[in-house]
Amino acid sequence: MKETLAMALMVHERGLEKFRPLEKVLVHDDFDRGFNGWLDLTPNFVRPGFQSQPSQLDLGSWGPSMISAAPMRFAAGHGSMEGNYSLKLATRPTAREYEQPPAEGAMSTVIKRLSKLDDDHRYIQLEAWYSYTPEQDRWGTGEEDIRAFGLWFDVQDETHRWQPGIRYVNSVNGTKVKRWQYFQVADGVTREQWTGSPEGWEAPGIDAIWCGQRYADGSADGFQWVPDGEQKLVYNESPDKLNWLYMRLLVDLDRREYVEFQSMGRTFDLRGTATTPAPPYDGITGLINPVFFIETDTDRRVFMYLDSVVYSTGREPQA
Amino acid sequence: MLTSATTLVERRTVLTTEYGTHPYEAAWASEALFFVRTEGPHPALTIQPQVSPDGVDWLDRGAPVTLPADRDLVDVDMVRFGTWVRLLLTGATPQEPATVLVRLELKG
Repeated sequence: MKETLAMALMVHERGLEKFRPLEKVLVHDDFDRGFNGWLDLTPNFVRPGFQSQPSQLDLGSWGPSMISAAPMRFAAGHGSMEGNYSLKLATRPTAREYEQPPAEGAMSTVIKRLSKLDDDHRYIQLEAWYSYTPEQDRWGTGEEDIRAFGLWFDVQDETHRWQPGIRYVNSVNGTKVKRWQYFQVADGVTREQWTGSPEGWEAPGIDAIWCGQRYADGSADGFQWVPDGEQKLVYNESPDKLNWLYMRLLVDLDRREYVEFQSMGRTFDLRGTATTPAPPYDGITGLINPVFFIETDTDRRVFMYLDSVVYSTGREPQA
Repeated sequence: MLTSATTLVERRTVLTTEYGTHPYEAAWASEALFFVRTEGPHPALTIQPQVSPDGVDWLDRGAPVTLPADRDLVDVDMVRFGTWVRLLLTGATPQEPATVLVRLELKG
């Protein structure tokens, strides 16, 4: 009882009441004091002239993130869920058809570059309070202009690189879909199919948010539908109204499997669900990077706001 | 200690016409310093700092800065701005394009 009370006090003092962290909280970022080490995801500028590896897409063009008070065109500034500022991902106003590779700038991503500590890392969990909206640059609700958003871990252990993650398919070519997917590559997808080029350096399973063929119903080579994964999230009735939402992904590092995904009041049991391990890449053994992303469905900027993020690890799937 | 942050609002963007950089929210900052860097040949560029009430409609703020064709780096500073800042770059054409990196340093 005493220990429970002490734990409750600690949780309260650290502002963790609205999260469900595992035993070791490695990251608890509220963005009222800045970026907290989150930055835009960019390619490796290692070629002559500081050029990056060849790719079908210009991966350096994604929209830059910013510290936002969520100011709106007709509404007052939203601030954040708790405090003034959130971390805002902002795409550029450019998109292709869903079935095509993403347009340059059609996404915005943020990443925090971390590494594995010790055996506490059997389970890793990423939690966030977030919101999403398009820019209020035209009339209408704008809900269908947000294509997808989500989160993932970029992991490399001693033998494999792999990226467990979750994507909410909100809209496909203007038609609302509203279903969750998890990162897993369909059987038989080759590296050339994955990258669209025989020179592609990304292995199947790596960087699913822009690699792999996508299909008209919202499915894609890099993603599988979460069973019973339909969920109508709050969008509200105007692009300048935000509501704060919660999501949580729990992953088993030893088994390289999903454990569960929670979105608001629903928890999806993913125990035993495989990820897609790829051969290891040079220089990144022990890497664990949490990442968030959003993609626009049309020629309009769309935004994801992160009020706060918690990344925790543990020996057990609960604290 | 002040908070500071660095971002690249444009990274090797190829300009062929008048271009406004990515609208950036900087309400938390009191100072903004843009660096405009070009890669390769480019015409003289006129760089106008701008502010906006909503990230959609823009007003000039302060005097424009010129990046001549024989230089590849210039700075443009802003103070006393509202939430949204950007640069409007003019001078590039399809015949004389410019490749620019626009770096934004914020402090406040």
